[in-house]
Parts: sequence; C-alpha cells; structure tokens
Amino acid sequence: MDPAHAAPTAYGLALSLFLAGWLLSLVLHVWRGTSLRLAGFVHWFALAGSAAAAAAGAAALVQDGSWRWAAPASAAGFSVSVRLDPLSAFFLLALAALALPVSAYSLGYIRHGAYGRSPVLRSGLLNLLLAALALIFTANHVILFLVAWEAGVAASYFLVTASHEQEETRHGGWMFLLMSRAGAGMIYIGLLMLSVSAGSLDFDRLSGAGSAMPGAASAAAFLLLFFGFGVKAGVIPLHAWLPAAHPVAPSNVSSLLSGIVIKTGIYGIARVCFDFYSALPPWAGMVVLAAGVISGLLGVLYALMEHDLKRLLAFHSIENIGIILMGFGGGMLLRSYGYPKLAALALAAGLFHTLNHAMFKGLLFLGAGAVVHETGTRNMEEMGGLIRRMPRTALYFLVGAVAISGLPPLNGFVSEWLTYQVLLAGFGTTAEVTRVAFPAAGAMLALTAALAAACFVKAYGITFLALPRSEHAREAAECAPSMRAGMAWLALACILLGLGAPWFMQVFDGVTMQLLKTRISLAAVSLSTASIQAPPPRTGAASPLALGLLLAAFGLVPWILWLLRRRRVTTAAGPVWDCGLPALSASNEYTATGFSKSIRMIFSVIFRPRREIQPRFEASPYFPSEIRFESEVRPAPGASLHSAVQEALLRLALRMRQIQAGSIHAYLAYIFVTLLLLLLFGVRS
Amino acid sequence: MTATVLHAVLQGLLLLLLSPLLSGLIRTAKARLQTRRGPSPLQPYRDLGKLLRKGMVIPETASPVFAAAPFVVFSTTLLAGLLAPTVFAAAPLSQFGGVLALVYLLGLGRFFLALAALDTGSAFGGMGSSREMTIAALAEPALMLAVFTVALTAGSTDPSRMAQAAIGQSWRFLAPSQMLAFTALFVVLLAETGRIPVDNPATHLELTMIHEAMILEYSGPWLALIEWSASIKQMVLLTLLANLFIPFTLASAPGVPAILSAAALYLLKLLLLAAAVVLVETTNAKMRLFRVPELLSVAFVLGALALISTFLFGGR
Amino acid sequence: MPLLSDPIFGQTMITLMAAIVLVLQITLVAQKSLVSSIYVFALQSFLLAAIAGTIAWFTGAGHIYMAAVLTFLLKSLLLPAILIRLVEQIRIEHEMKPLLNVPVSVVISGMLTLLAYVVAEPLQQQMSFGSPSSLGHNTLPVAVALFLIGFFLIANRRKALSQVLALLSLENGLFLAAISLTYGMPLIVELGVFFDVLVAVLVLTILVGRIREAFDSMDVTRLSRLRG
Repeated sequence: MDPAHAAPTAYGLALSLFLAGWLLSLVLHVWRGTSLRLAGFVHWFALAGSAAAAAAGAAALVQDGSWRWAAPASAAGFSVSVRLDPLSAFFLLALAALALPVSAYSLGYIRHGAYGRSPVLRSGLLNLLLAALALIFTANHVILFLVAWEAGVAASYFLVTASHEQEETRHGGWMFLLMSRAGAGMIYIGLLMLSVSAGSLDFDRLSGAGSAMPGAASAAAFLLLFFGFGVKAGVIPLHAWLPAAHPVAPSNVSSLLSGIVIKTGIYGIARVCFDFYSALPPWAGMVVLAAGVISGLLGVLYALMEHDLKRLLAFHSIENIGIILMGFGGGMLLRSYGYPKLAALALAAGLFHTLNHAMFKGLLFLGAGAVVHETGTRNMEEMGGLIRRMPRTALYFLVGAVAISGLPPLNGFVSEWLTYQVLLAGFGTTAEVTRVAFPAAGAMLALTAALAAACFVKAYGITFLALPRSEHAREAAECAPSMRAGMAWLALACILLGLGAPWFMQVFDGVTMQLLKTRISLAAVSLSTASIQAPPPRTGAASPLALGLLLAAFGLVPWILWLLRRRRVTTAAGPVWDCGLPALSASNEYTATGFSKSIRMIFSVIFRPRREIQPRFEASPYFPSEIRFESEVRPAPGASLHSAVQEALLRLALRMRQIQAGSIHAYLAYIFVTLLLLLLFGVRS
Repeated sequence: MTATVLHAVLQGLLLLLLSPLLSGLIRTAKARLQTRRGPSPLQPYRDLGKLLRKGMVIPETASPVFAAAPFVVFSTTLLAGLLAPTVFAAAPLSQFGGVLALVYLLGLGRFFLALAALDTGSAFGGMGSSREMTIAALAEPALMLAVFTVALTAGSTDPSRMAQAAIGQSWRFLAPSQMLAFTALFVVLLAETGRIPVDNPATHLELTMIHEAMILEYSGPWLALIEWSASIKQMVLLTLLANLFIPFTLASAPGVPAILSAAALYLLKLLLLAAAVVLVETTNAKMRLFRVPELLSVAFVLGALALISTFLFGGR
Repeated sequence: MPLLSDPIFGQTMITLMAAIVLVLQITLVAQKSLVSSIYVFALQSFLLAAIAGTIAWFTGAGHIYMAAVLTFLLKSLLLPAILIRLVEQIRIEHEMKPLLNVPVSVVISGMLTLLAYVVAEPLQQQMSFGSPSSLGHNTLPVAVALFLIGFFLIANRRKALSQVLALLSLENGLFLAAISLTYGMPLIVELGVFFDVLVAVLVLTILVGRIREAFDSMDVTRLSRLRG
C-alpha cells in the first residue's frame, strides 16, 4: 500500500472496529447480556482495533507530516474533524501499544466475573473507551475533543464501577466522576478562551493562540488548562480520585486508566504548553516543574505507606506523572530562556517517560490483577510466596518493578537519565532561578527514584517472595495463557524500549520538529555507539544495549563457573535461621507495614503517623494475651479536595432546585426567556 | 578497539584482585589503631578462597531470586567499576555510560540483594532489606547533588571528562564547592559501604546489622560472590572520590613511566582515603538507626551547599 | 608571584574559610550537645579571625589586624571558656530539645542559605572581583546566611544557653559582613560591638543561672509562667 495512505486507512479501520465492537455489544447485550463467551468475542474487536491503531500511529510517525480529515457537512460550529500530527500519532501509538496487550489479557481475565453482571455491555464499553481515547488524541476540533473527552469519562466511569455492589467501588467511581467533571469544567473554559481569542474552534488555528492573548487572560487560560488537565493526570493536590478509583476497577481497566487514560491529561498539557502556547513566561514553567517535583515525591512517599497492592500502584502513577511533568516543566523553562534544542530534549524525555510508564505500569496492574484474582484480596499482608505458584506472572512483574524503579538497562532508566540531563542542562542557562531550581529538582528526582526502588522491593518482596501469608496465597495458581501473553508483551516492550532506546528516540523527531523546530535525534542520539547522549555542549552518554549485554556477560561467566563447580561440592537445602525457634512461619516474616516503618518515621513531618497499641493482659502483666495494633498516616494534601467540591456542588444543586418549581408555566417561561436571549444574542452578533 | 578491551580487562582484573586487599588493609589498620593485632591484610583472600571451595546450604524457602541475586550483584558492581576512571583519565567503558549509569547500576545490584533478603522469609532479612533501602534512598539525593556539582563545573556526566576538566586547574580542589561535595560524598560512601557510624561491618549482633542481615542466609560460593562484590563496590566508590576530586595524578599520556607513576599515585590516594575511613570508624560510635537520617540530611545539605557554592562565591 | 602575596591565593583561602564557617553554622544546627556546640562556635570564630587576618595581610590595614586579634581572643577563647564553665555549673550538657527535628532544621538551613544567596546576589553584581581591593567581597552571601541561620537557630531552641550561642553565631554573621564589605568598621565601633557582646553574654550567664534557680530548668518556654 502507498505509505501516504497507510496511516489514514489504519486509523479509520481502528475507529470503525472500536465503534463496531461497542455497537455490537449493545445488540448482543439485549440478546444474551451475561454470556462471557460473547464478552470475549467483543474484546477481539478491541484487539484488532488496537493493532490497526498501532499501525496508524507508527505509519504517521514514520511519515513525518500531518494528515487531516474533516467530515464534509458541519453543522452549527460542530464538525467532525480529525488530524494525525506527530504529537497525536505518538499518543495514538502509546494507546495502541497498551490497549493491544490489555485486550489480550482481558480475554482470560473477564472469565472470572471481573465485569460484574453485564459483561457484554462492559466489553463494549472498553471498545467505547478506546474509541474515545483515540478521538481525544486525534481530534482537531474543540467540540469534538470535548465530546470525546466526555465519552471517555462516561465509559471509564461505568467500567470502574463494574462491581458496584461494593460501597468502596461506588465511592471510587463517584470521586472519579466528580473530579473529572470539575477538571472538565476548567478545560471547557480554558479552551473556549483560546478559541475566542483565535476566532476558531480548529486545533490547527489554536496553535500559538495562547501566546497571542493579552497577558492576564493568557495566564488565566494557561492555569485553567494546566490544572484542568492536571486533575486527569493526577497531579497532587488534585489527585484524590486516582487512588480511590484505580484499585476498585477491574484490573484490565486499572491498567488502561493508569497507563493511558490519565495520559490524556498529559496529552492535554503537552498540547497546551508546547502547541497552543508557543511561548510562556518562566513562571509557567516553574509551576509545572514544581507540580512535577511535589507529585513525584509525595506520590512515592504515599505509595510506600500502602499495603493495598493496587492503591500502591495508583500512587506510583502520581509519582510518574510527576517525573513526566519535571521533563515538561524543564522544557518550558528552557524554551522561555531561548534554548529550543534543550527544550526539545526535555519534551522528548517527558514523552518517552509517558510511553514507558504506560508500558510498565500497565504491566504491573495486569500482574496485580492476576495476583488479586488468585488470592482474592488486594492486601499485600495476605500474599507472599507467589513466585512458586505463579512463576511467569512473578517474572513479568519483576521486569515491571525493575523498569519502574528506573534501573538499567530497562526503559525507565532511559527516560529518567534523559530527565537528569535536562535538569543538569538547566544550569547552563543564565537565569538565577533555573540555576537553583533545576539541580534541586534533580536531587528530588534522585530521592523519588530511590524511594520508588525501595517501594518496589517491598511490593515485590512481600507479594511474591518468602512464605505465603494466607491460605489463598498458598493455593494460588498460574493465570490463563491469554493473560500471560498480555503481560509478556508488555514486559518485552519494557526491555526493548530500554535496549533499543537510541533507535526509538527518532520517533520524537517529528514531535520536536513540529513543536520546537528542532530534531532531537541529531543531538541526543549516537547510533554508532548505540547510546543516548547529552546534547552539546555538555557531554555524557549511556548505552542501555551495551550495559545490558555486558551485565549479561559478567553475570553469565561466574554462573557457568558455578555450574561447573556445583558438581564437585555439596549443596543442601536447609531451614532458615530463626533464632532457634521450632519452625519459621509466615508470622515471622517482615510485613509491608514493617518494611516501610523506617520511612514512616523519617518522614513523620509529612505523614504525622498515629499509632495505637492496646495489649490485653489476662494472667500476668508481662505476657499479653492479645495485642491490638492500629496505625494510620495523614493523607496527602488535597485528599479532601473532592469533598469540598462535592459540598459546593450539592449547595448549588439545592439552590437550583428552586428553579424546578414543577409548574408547567414556569418551564414555559424558562423556554421563552431562553428563546428571547438567544434571539437577542443572534441579532447582536 | 583492542586498546579499549585491553584497558577494560586490566581494570577489571585490578578491581577483582585488589579490592579484597583494600578491605583487608582497612580491617588491619583499624585493629592496629585500636591496639589490637587484628587479622592479616590478606585475610579476605583466604576467606574468599575458602568460601569458593566450600559447599553450601540453600534455605528451603528460597526462590530463584535468591539464586540470581549474587550473580546480579557481582555483575552490576563489576560493570560499575569499569565506568569509573582508575589509573587513566579515561575510563575503559566511558562511552557506554557515565556516572549516572554507575550509580544506577549499583542501585540495580542493591535492588536484587534486598529482594533476596526478603526471599528467605527470615525476619533478619526483612529488617536488613528495609534498612538498606531506606538508607540508600536517603543517601541517593546527597550523592547526586555531590555528583552534580562536579558534573556542572565539568559540563559532563562522564567521569572521565569530569576528571579531565579538573586537570590543570590546580586551585580547583580548594574551591568550597569541591570541598563540600567531597565531604558529602564521603559521608555517602560511609553509608553505602556499610561503615561505622551507619552500619558496622564487623558485627553479627542481630538487631543492629544491615548488610550482614541481608546476607545472613547465604553461604559458600554465593556468599563469596556477594562479599567480593561488596569489596569491589567499596573500591569503586573510593576511586570515584579520589579521582573526581583529586584527578591530577591520572595518566593522560601513554608511556610506561607515566602509567607506572599514575598507578602508584592512584594506589596512594586509595590508601589515604581508606585511612580516613579507618579514622572515622575508630573515633565514632555506631549511630542508632534513626540518627542516621540526621547524618544523611547533613550530607544532603552539604551537597546542596556545594552546588550553591558553585555560584555563591561569584563564580560565573 | 610568591604564594603569600598572590591575591588569587588569598581569595581562594578566604572563600574556603568562609565555606567552612557556613558549614560550621549548619553543624551548630545539627548539634545537640551543648559542649560540642560551644567548641564549634569557638572554631567558627577562629576562622572568622583568620579571614580578617588574611584580609588584613593583603590590604595592609592595621585596624583589621586589631579586629582579627580581638575576635580571636574574645570569641574563640574567652566567651567559649565562660560558656563552658556555665555548662559545668548547671550540669546540663545534652538537653537541647529543638522545636523541629534535626533533618528538617538542617534542610531549612540549606534553604536559608539559598535565600541568602538570592538576597545578596544583586548586591554582588555591582562589585568587581579578583583585585586586591575586592578581597572577600564574595563572602557576603555567607554572612547573610550566617545571620539568617542564626536567627532561625534562636527561634528553634528552647534552652536559654543555646539561644545565647545562636545569638553569638548571628553576630558572627554581622562581623563577616562588616569585615568583608567595608574592611571593617572604624575600630571604635567595633570595640563597642565587642563590648556589647561581652556584656550580653555576662548578663545572660547571670540570667541563665537565675532562671535555673527559679524554675529548676533553663527552658525559656517556662518563662511564660512569669506573666501575672
């Protein structure tokens, strides 16, 4: 096929498949709504559609230009108009790269009732969600964008509340809805402000519109859009919905939520900060950088306090959003001080981390889904020893854990390394603020990354290693092949994106060319040594491929020597040293709470931990017969933001109720007044 | 190409062969300073030899992670060592990764060791693992700040370049930023290598140990690999400290006399730093675990001050 | 040029000593033991005297020599001796309960240093560096930092004695600012300041003794009981 047509064709095919899957599910739902087999069938549409979307994204990125299409008829300012520019194409590719394995995983996962009582409908909703996401990333028109945005929120809401019999789930869903609405409100106003200024609703025409506005309005629109999209992305203190909604959703949905749905916020921020605003004053970059640092650090600290596996992962999403925003904020600052090449590196670092996070967090949520399904609990304290029962899942989860901890040679290392280079490059600028802020942010990034490693030692060690802590954990079994296939794909992606980073970096050429008029791979990649490098005048390089190969070699040599040696020495299996007690049991093991105790104590300024110990004595005051232990930490700032929003909404709703007089005349009067106003408005303008 | 390979092989051998001696020398010097006779400096070699020849007991509860960890730790530490310049101004593998890669490689080894510690199900392992990860997390920002300081003045994160940039600027090591960064890095070194006042390498007192608690269940060749890696790690960090801040002795020109004198001076620097470690270990008591963050916060602020100093004193 | 008359060398040494002075100030924040704090203060004052001495050597200004000698005698010998005696008298060596814990206060000190830099930067930009006449000018941010951290230290400590120590270190900041910017105030002003400090310490010494007698503690928070 002609490559110029490949992207539009594949894109159209993907959207059609998603929508067909959704529509089909509506029909099938009426026919046999509870059939798991039919639900699985609907997922094949998602799978095929994702494959097509991947092709579309890849083709558009290779092609290195923009493709547009608008429906011939457009009514009343609304037109269906889409565009595949490099930024859109990149996010479409990220969506597809995650949706494909998640769809495969779902085939096996939903067989155990994850979708509640109407599985077919929910499978269809998954298709709808994917369609909405694809449209969000590619919409070229404000109204279409907002419609897709709302469709995405609606579909996510019904997917999150699959097990709505549980109070916790309803609460999580409600928070999600509430915060999403509040965020969407800000986005509406912000986008409309830009549109009014540009005199158009086309994204094409909005490019650079923000900077053309007068100062105060420009700043207001920027802040509205940043925080509006920030709600979706889970920026602290707007994150409260995230740890409430992610854990209660079915795990395939959590994986999508964390991997790509919150990335719509990142897409929005990237689109606003680098496209709609072609220039921003330095304070804007500082806001983004500060939001990144705070989200990163607090996100990982609160993740450490969790022993609910899925909540832990949800808080890590906040952390990674923070790392992405550090890249973006750095880029904005560098752009405003006139260093477009460095800004391009920063943008690429942020986008790369966006994709990487989609891969490893998607993987970890899928792994967590398998584990939670097998053990019947999200509480890590009741897991343990699963590596023996679920070796494959354990292996994939380990890959994800190493990747998210930013350790070489996997993909997390690459994007964190690039972010470090950006933050170091800021020192070369002339502005005092960045000379201080950038290295400080770099130190905080180091702290964040090191704490993330600690957290995943805990998450992996407590969940998969040592002795099983409960009956369920003891009887767990390996998950279905389709689920393993989904995880294997993502694990492979984590490895390949790490080792092949220098080659993959060229993907960002189109984006940086579009937004900053510079090609990133010229400065930041050296293919002859398979390495990524700091842009001149700084030096420094890292080659994940070489590091990976050398690591393997240095590990294998002693391993082979050991295998040769093992024949001549005796190796015996023996009990673990337990201070001479009769036998080691699961109750001797370190718990997740115990593991993070030292962190809790050290950061007590933030956590303000409260604990209560109540021993009960019967015979002697020295030997308590029962000890009750209770401990909690203060939630992250902004955790109760939603209740403030909720109260305001309810108050407003009460006020509004008075309008609902119930009298038909009143309603007629409203309609009449509206008509009059519209007439006036129409005549005047 | 051949030169690079030869350089890498030689440096690898240097690290592998000399690191136990360095550990041994520190141990002996410490004993002498405390008016004990102490073991011979060659004792670590004997220990390693003996462990490598022995059979071993693997805990019943151990999983493949336990078996993989020693090899991962060994390979990451050795590779990290090849990213640092020792005798020559250029590190053998510097085109593959700079100081950030070095730090993160050590992090990878630590990650697996901490997992292996949790793997056995022993409470000691969990305790060691938790403490190790906590202290490492707190040491990391201080380490990064110190490294940034040098990287910023040199304009590179490649340690070879960082060292080369300083050669010829004779006053630089007296600059406050360098001194402060050096001090911060020295404190981090004490924490990372499990030295007093953070951890006591000589103790097997169950409630205070960190590194020893993690490797309590290892025996035989696997234990040898881990102990060996610990020696190498110590030598790598000392090398980094010596060559980033006092790089004048590095050989940049080829030629046998230049190389020999550079090698001798390198060893001398290592010995001096090791002496400083010995002095600190002898004159300080081990801190309570929750005093360690205080020490590391001081290191962090020293690192931050180092960074600020680069422009605090009007140096633009 | 011989080392001892090379102004670059002088500049390096002054910068280095100023940095150590700053580090000592932060050590003072991190230090819980009273006796060690007094020694740290003594060392800090000694370095200040040395800075003054270096400046005097390179500029040849006699009255700065005087200031250096006075600082050395008074602040690094006499005052520490008085304070040590006081500690021995009231037999309180360790009880320093800061309001904020050590890591937090150390990090705050770091931020204050940053603030000092931001404050002093504009002033510094108007100066030229590298000539004998500008020797020590670049220590202004350190002086401001000493002042700010000293102030923070006073607010953060409960014991009257450690507040005295904090006040003295604050005064060190003022001294550094004076010596580095204007090469010392007229000698008579300086003498006055030294005398002030001496009197302040003596008064506080007596006061601490009295507080202790009255309340059996030298925790200043107890003083709130004095209100009627």
